[in-house]
Amino acid sequence: MAKQYDVLFRLLLLGDSGVGKTCLLCRFTDNEFHPSHISTIGVDFKMKTLVIDGIKVRIQIWDTAGQERYQTITKQYYRRAQGIFLVYDITSERSFQHIMKWASDVDEYAPSKVQKILVGNKSDEVDKRQVATEQGVKLAKAYGMDFFETSAFTNHNITETFTRLAEQVLAANKKDLDLLQMSMNDELDLAALEEEEGLCNSAAGDQGKGCWC
Amino acid sequence: MKRFPKGMPAAERAILQEQLIDIILVVLKCNPQLHYYQGYHDVAVTLLLVVGERMAIAMLHTLSKYHLRDFMDPTMDSTKHILNYLMPILEQVDTELHDFMIRSEVGTIFALSWLITWYGHVLPEFKHTLRLYDFFLASHPLMPIYLAAAIVLHREKEVKQTECDMAMVHHLLSRIPQDLPYELLIGQSQELFDQYPPSLLAKRAALQSRKSQSISTFKAFQLSTLHQRPDSVLQRLTKAQDSTTSRHASRHSGLEAALPRDRGQLWGKGNRMVKMAVWGLSATLGAAVFAVAQTAMDWGPEVLLQLF
Repeated sequence: MAKQYDVLFRLLLLGDSGVGKTCLLCRFTDNEFHPSHISTIGVDFKMKTLVIDGIKVRIQIWDTAGQERYQTITKQYYRRAQGIFLVYDITSERSFQHIMKWASDVDEYAPSKVQKILVGNKSDEVDKRQVATEQGVKLAKAYGMDFFETSAFTNHNITETFTRLAEQVLAANKKDLDLLQMSMNDELDLAALEEEEGLCNSAAGDQGKGCWC
Repeated sequence: MKRFPKGMPAAERAILQEQLIDIILVVLKCNPQLHYYQGYHDVAVTLLLVVGERMAIAMLHTLSKYHLRDFMDPTMDSTKHILNYLMPILEQVDTELHDFMIRSEVGTIFALSWLITWYGHVLPEFKHTLRLYDFFLASHPLMPIYLAAAIVLHREKEVKQTECDMAMVHHLLSRIPQDLPYELLIGQSQELFDQYPPSLLAKRAALQSRKSQSISTFKAFQLSTLHQRPDSVLQRLTKAQDSTTSRHASRHSGLEAALPRDRGQLWGKGNRMVKMAVWGLSATLGAAVFAVAQTAMDWGPEVLLQLF
């Protein structure tokens, strides 16, 4: 199968329930906005391909359920992520305070090299604002992250935020990129080996797709 | 709320939304050991739309204590445990498919919302949701898992043709096709259940460590529902309907004054809805009692003989 991209990254959206993770994602990938809140159950993802410095970067963005009880389930997806959006709602002080907890979970469960970015969503809701821009800037600085205030509703800073994190992940992995491609080839060989050993079932092999796991 | 029927007037929608919140709060307040989960409202709203507020509270109350009990723990560990029943069913039927899915590391999270909302969160057509709710009301708490297995098996070819990658398989499976043959799948899940009952699956190593409250209390639940015969339920419902109508007629009586909101508008249309609800419910309960009696006979004829 010819790949339509040069490199694939997995990004993860984290933050309290109702801060707008799903809306950010829908706006970015489909340019849609649905005002009614439909809670995410479990995890799901959407994809988009960006071109950064001439490299076709396919990003797989995983959206997670924000309710605390879902964390036993969502945590198992942290380790696969190369970049993480920590999202709060500028109209909810509480969601901002919880960023600390989300960040410490990321430290615990995500790879150490993971890139992070802080996002204050719903910037259009000026009248309801509870978290000042400066507070976001300060927190991001303390964590050494970039910071964006966004609005999925007005499409403010959406592409910028997603592109920025993709760029960071790309930069962090640039040195390893050649190495990564080499190891990807290794994996292909490994799959072929497994097939010979009969570990892969014949039907999958016959279809010529195999299991390039 | 996308689950409210399209074209419903905003005012009616607002009333239903209020009622939905009330239903959930009443049940949770009565049972402090139960915890809300995202998706619980999908169950509540389905009940509300069919049987109205009062009956929805009663039904949600019972379901929360039995069928949905495992999902209402403070954590989702028990829910994860229930999901663990899915792969062993697939393994029994189609080893190749099972191994493919294991290799892809897809896990079972794609079926999470199916299980905890009884598919209410994912099905676009309300009539299909209702059909499944009838089925699940008359079945063992694990039946949604058997249906999940039937759906995955139904899509076996598609799954095997997908790239053997966690994301790809998750993506494919978590989206339910529009045109699933529900009657066929319901039959198949019942067959799977009869062929590979939970007790058989539970013998598998991964499933031994944990106890499910929904499963362990189901026998008691079945016995208790034996006494809820359709005729007595119908009688009660007819009474409820009468009181509703009279309440509607004398809107300023004490009963109506005790109600927090003006529900006149809703109940105006409600008469037909209540009739449909009575019909649907009695059909469901009839089926439930039949199924319950039958399974109970299979399981413990001696207990039943003592009862009669």
